Amino acid sequence: MTATVQMSEAKASASLAVSARGFSKRYGKDTAVNRIDLDIHKGEIYGLIGPDGAGKSSFMKAVAGVLSFEEGTLQVFDTQVDSEASAELIKQRIGFMPQGLGLNMYPDLSVEENIDFFARLRLVPEKELTSRKHRLLGMTRLEAFRDRPMKNLSGGMKQKLGLVCTLIHEPELIILDEPTTGVDPVSRRDFWSILARLLREQGITALVSTAYMDEATRFQRAALMYQGKVLAEGEPDVIGNLAQGTMITIDVDSQADALQTLSRQFEQIEAVGSRLRIWVDEADAMLAEQQLRDALAGFTIQHLECDTPGLEDVFVAKLRQEGNVVADLPAFEAGNNDKTGVAIEAHELSKRFDDFTAVDKISFTVPKGEIFGLLGANGAGKTTAIKMLTGIQLPTRGEGQVAGANMSTAAQLIKQRIGYMSQAFSLYLDLSVSENINLFAGVYGLDSKMRRERSAWIIELADLQGYEKELAGSLPMGLRQRLALGCALVHKPQILFLDEPTSGVDPLGRRRFWEILFNLARVQNVTILATTHYMSEAEHCDHLALMYAGRIVADDTPDNMKAAVTAEAGGLLEVSVDKPIVAVGVLEESQYKGAALFGRQIHLWAPDDQTNRSRITSLLADAGISVLGMQARTLSMEDVFVYRVLQQEQAREKNAA
Amino acid sequence: MTTLRIGMTRMRVMTSKELMQLLRDTVLIIFTIYAFTFDIYWAGSGVSLSLNNAALMVFDGDSSYASRELTSRFREPYFRHVGSLSHSRDTNDVLDKGEAMVTLDIPEGFEQSLLRGEQSTVQMQVDSTNTVLGLLASSYGQQIVGRYGLEVAMKQQGLSADGGISGPILDDRHRVWFNPNQEDSWFMSIAELLTIITVFSMMLPAAAMVREKERGTIEQLLVSPLSAFQVMFSKVLAMTLVIVLLTSISLFLVIGGLFGVPFKGSPWLFLGLSTLYVFTTSGLGLVIATFSRNMAQAGMLIILLIAPMIFLSGAWTPPEAMPTVMRWLMMVSPLHYFIDAGYGVLLKGATFTTLAPQISGMCVLGGLNFALGLWRFRRQFA
Amino acid sequence: MNLYRIQAVISKEWREIVRDRLFLTLAFVVPAMLMLLFGYGLSLDVEDIPFAIVDHDNTQLSRDYASRYTSSRYFDFKGYSQDESLLSKKLSTNELRAYIVIPENFEKNLMAGKPAAVQSILDGTFPARAATSKGYITAINTAYSSELLASYLSKAKGVSAEIAAEALAPVSVSVRYLYNQSLLSTWSIAPKLIMVILMVSPPFLTALGVVREKERGSIYNIYASTVSRAEFLIGKITPYVLMSVVNAIILWVLATFLFGAPFKGDFLFFLLATCIYVMCTTGIGLVISVLVETQVAAMVVTAIATVVPAALYSGVLVPIPSLSGQAQIIAHALPAMYYTNILTGTFLKGTGMADLWQDVLILTLYAAGLFLVGYSLFSKRPRS
Repeated sequence: MTATVQMSEAKASASLAVSARGFSKRYGKDTAVNRIDLDIHKGEIYGLIGPDGAGKSSFMKAVAGVLSFEEGTLQVFDTQVDSEASAELIKQRIGFMPQGLGLNMYPDLSVEENIDFFARLRLVPEKELTSRKHRLLGMTRLEAFRDRPMKNLSGGMKQKLGLVCTLIHEPELIILDEPTTGVDPVSRRDFWSILARLLREQGITALVSTAYMDEATRFQRAALMYQGKVLAEGEPDVIGNLAQGTMITIDVDSQADALQTLSRQFEQIEAVGSRLRIWVDEADAMLAEQQLRDALAGFTIQHLECDTPGLEDVFVAKLRQEGNVVADLPAFEAGNNDKTGVAIEAHELSKRFDDFTAVDKISFTVPKGEIFGLLGANGAGKTTAIKMLTGIQLPTRGEGQVAGANMSTAAQLIKQRIGYMSQAFSLYLDLSVSENINLFAGVYGLDSKMRRERSAWIIELADLQGYEKELAGSLPMGLRQRLALGCALVHKPQILFLDEPTSGVDPLGRRRFWEILFNLARVQNVTILATTHYMSEAEHCDHLALMYAGRIVADDTPDNMKAAVTAEAGGLLEVSVDKPIVAVGVLEESQYKGAALFGRQIHLWAPDDQTNRSRITSLLADAGISVLGMQARTLSMEDVFVYRVLQQEQAREKNAA
Repeated sequence: MTTLRIGMTRMRVMTSKELMQLLRDTVLIIFTIYAFTFDIYWAGSGVSLSLNNAALMVFDGDSSYASRELTSRFREPYFRHVGSLSHSRDTNDVLDKGEAMVTLDIPEGFEQSLLRGEQSTVQMQVDSTNTVLGLLASSYGQQIVGRYGLEVAMKQQGLSADGGISGPILDDRHRVWFNPNQEDSWFMSIAELLTIITVFSMMLPAAAMVREKERGTIEQLLVSPLSAFQVMFSKVLAMTLVIVLLTSISLFLVIGGLFGVPFKGSPWLFLGLSTLYVFTTSGLGLVIATFSRNMAQAGMLIILLIAPMIFLSGAWTPPEAMPTVMRWLMMVSPLHYFIDAGYGVLLKGATFTTLAPQISGMCVLGGLNFALGLWRFRRQFA
Repeated sequence: MNLYRIQAVISKEWREIVRDRLFLTLAFVVPAMLMLLFGYGLSLDVEDIPFAIVDHDNTQLSRDYASRYTSSRYFDFKGYSQDESLLSKKLSTNELRAYIVIPENFEKNLMAGKPAAVQSILDGTFPARAATSKGYITAINTAYSSELLASYLSKAKGVSAEIAAEALAPVSVSVRYLYNQSLLSTWSIAPKLIMVILMVSPPFLTALGVVREKERGSIYNIYASTVSRAEFLIGKITPYVLMSVVNAIILWVLATFLFGAPFKGDFLFFLLATCIYVMCTTGIGLVISVLVETQVAAMVVTAIATVVPAALYSGVLVPIPSLSGQAQIIAHALPAMYYTNILTGTFLKGTGMADLWQDVLILTLYAAGLFLVGYSLFSKRPRS
């Protein structure tokens, strides 16, 4: 009897790549991971999802054998990892890519030199190295950049290089810590499809974490972590069922008032551009819609749409249901309601560095009180554009008006009127929260009364009560970001510049962040210019300009942009199949170029008509795959972005040829 | 009026920011305190630049009263017997091995020759790998032997009955001012303090600036209404505060307290001069920071400047003995002026007026450093 | 221990160094520049001491006596003065380092066979310089006294001046200076500068190089790979050791050819000992880099831990025997002193392994000890 149990346990453990029991990790008094149990099977893509500070990184580092832990057991393959010596045993079978865009690579070394270093460190024979390098560089389309120094790669390319370096010794288990954080959507899709293909071809097990909830669908199984614990585990659907409800998007007159009215009844509500998204605790769409309409009696609803909630919505709902109440925002004092003037006007701005043009004659206008989004992939020229507008860099050519003053003649005047939050949230990490706030209050010359007032407001705004004495460096990313936002707002600027504000910040943080921006723009009439490559953020903007290779290639409202793409490309089709990983390969090879895997579904560009339906079904049937369902999908901003950027890339390749 | 108030507020918050950042780096703070206290104490109490206890080995081929009398006159503080040699040929060997620095070879029949009134010669071999010490050792040796010979001769010639010397000779009287007992600790502790001040005032502001560049926080300051001057000067102000505070601790506790250096001039004037010096040297550090992209580059550049400054500014090498070109070069080293001024105040009682040339020298250098630093700072972000 | 892995780390590190052009240039230029600056400027000789004479006697004999100083190369005569208070003021403003007072009745007393007191007033701010000046003055006075005595004796006894002089100096000293016969200061200093520069530059290169990897986060590649701690540490510091050895050779060339210091020993032995010494100083940088977290701290700690001892406890400015108590202990606890022995041995004395094996052994143990410390403090599976 006991023997049988042991036998089956042995058999079970043979199919396990990682097995953790009662695993805990503490840093001093803080518990990062609190007694979790996890099993990862060989050959699967296992995801760790959850906000910053959930304990994902600590767990992954421990599995990779680069971090010790305090409690529990951790078995990787057949080795109990409990000491530096035992950790060494598994390292040849593991590839580990730590968090941070290209942080683990060597910026001054070329692509090839980086790969060679990782390979030689793992004693890959030179001959094998040549062939593997060729194959992996080909797959990641980095072949042309072999000799380019890593520091000159775009974010997406850096992550692909990181993946190549991690795979070069053909590990059995790869551990990727937030590989897509800070990467634009095109590169992210590319990254996921490359990863899926590699895993498919080589049968590698992968443990991957992400702070983007919508990427959970990329995993076969996943664990949702929060505050060091596992909230749910299993297939993405299981996590999707954590909370029952309906997502309703409405277009309503007097948006700000409607928001105020609704938030009394519905806790989970956010403004997205000119719309409102509301979670209703009712799985039945019809009943949910009725609840909402009742609540909005007296308002004119222009448009209403019901959806099944995304993972992010579910996660937020789940936390809310468990009693994690998000603190209210402080009051925003109303600004002057002059929406007529122009806040920013750029006229043919250009910036050249030695031999390349970072920004090429961009022109745009931002009216007062608008949320303006500058979109683009890494390296499109967004940051340079924002640096010119804020006066950090001088334009090579062109001119502009910012906050009613000329950029080139009244730089000092502009500086008093703008706030700026840079990519890295330029906080002093070795100073405490209140020290940072006081510093910037002083820099902008606030007197002590004003300073106390603003300081209290910022603490409330950023929900930092109780953290005043903590060092900024010890805060989770979300809090750190809101603190940086607060510091940029300390002097009540007329215009707020945000450079990639929410790369790598978890959904909870991101929500509150955009809630603040919405209030600033709508109530305080602050003009906001944000650069982003995170497309769900782009949906929040009133107006968008899409940059590609230093130029603006599209300039419109989000809705108009979507409409234009739909008109050009037909529409987006979602295909459900039984063998998604194989199926996406088949479709990629065919005429459906944009085929990409989202969890168990495949998305591709095609009008939803009978021709396409039957063509896809027969194509897959030939490969022995049966289609479970097919439906048209409404476009997201991400779809628009991917479509436009690919279009530009193709045009460019054509020109080059 | 409000512009002035805002300017003051900006300087205050920026300065306290630098101070707080400095205080958060525990390892750095511990080392800083160590450098200003223990390091100076050890250097002052243990290091002497004079010839002390030169290791002497004697081959006494005579073994007589006279040879023993002569040998016994080679004594502390200059010489120290470390052993006797049984063969005269061993002398080179012990010098090669570094067991002795000086050997004395007294020939057989030494006493006999003296009694007969004949000339005799003793041989001294000196290790001159360190020329200064070699020269000193031989000069002390010659004095001892000469004096011994003279005494013997005077007795023989009947000029002196008791072995003392009278007659037409020069009575050599020395008076050493400013450090009558020639305490090495007085010189050493002050020299070490100056070195430490130099190291910190060059490195701390430069490092603070390079760190802002490396971490990107500099951008946040650039979009704010802060002027380049406010960004740079606040760093200098903060570092000057810390360094001058530690200097005063070191001055009163270690130099005045433990080593009993009499402050001939006003210690407050010394602290004032230190402030000026730290300010000037920090400017140099900031100029370096504008030239370097990362800390490694800044580190090497600092070494390139700081090592010659410390060794060649006049504390270790007499400026009079340096080649003219080097002397001119050292005119641009702020430490050159601070050494004169610092020792001047503490040991010689120099006053503000007597130090006018040194003070103006530091002011001019400081001004130039700052102007260059500001110009470079504005240029690199254009 | 796997050579390929070490080689991989070395070549990666080397490439990174090469790509940072300014740093690479500085790594080689800084040591050579220091050698040039110190070689030309760092002279410990006390010469051209600015001095003045107060002649209260103003006779032929007093002027004859004064001429002994004015013609000496050690003294730079600034003129006669009658105003002692003015001279003492000049002493405090560094215009003078010494002055000599010849009393009234100088000639009268000496002619009458009586002693005359001569006073010298010295600036004691730099005690070593004061002591040397005092030595010069005593030597001149002693020589002058002997002459006076001799002429007095020759008059009294009616013998020739030569015989009288001989009778007064029955014992003569023959001094042989070994190793540096002509007492050239650069011969003595140049070899020791190699020690000073190699004490300072390798730890800086290493400490900043390793901490940079820590601050940036690429250290995780090392943690996560199969490269062992020893392989990584060896690979990481080898480029810096090699660069420092190249620097040592450049410094050797400068010392021998430019400054003309004689090199009497075996070059291979010198090279071997230098490699070991460089490993010691690189090891200091390594240990510092494992202990600190920030580059700022790395820089300051390295400066305090190397520049100060190189100046004080290495035997270049201050002779080791002159050190007392804890300073002796510090000197013996640092590698510089042993390498100084090797340098003076191989350069000036022409000694080799037979005489210097102890120093080489101590340096070897020292280097091994530092690596052991670095090795045990470095963890591939840290707590945070």
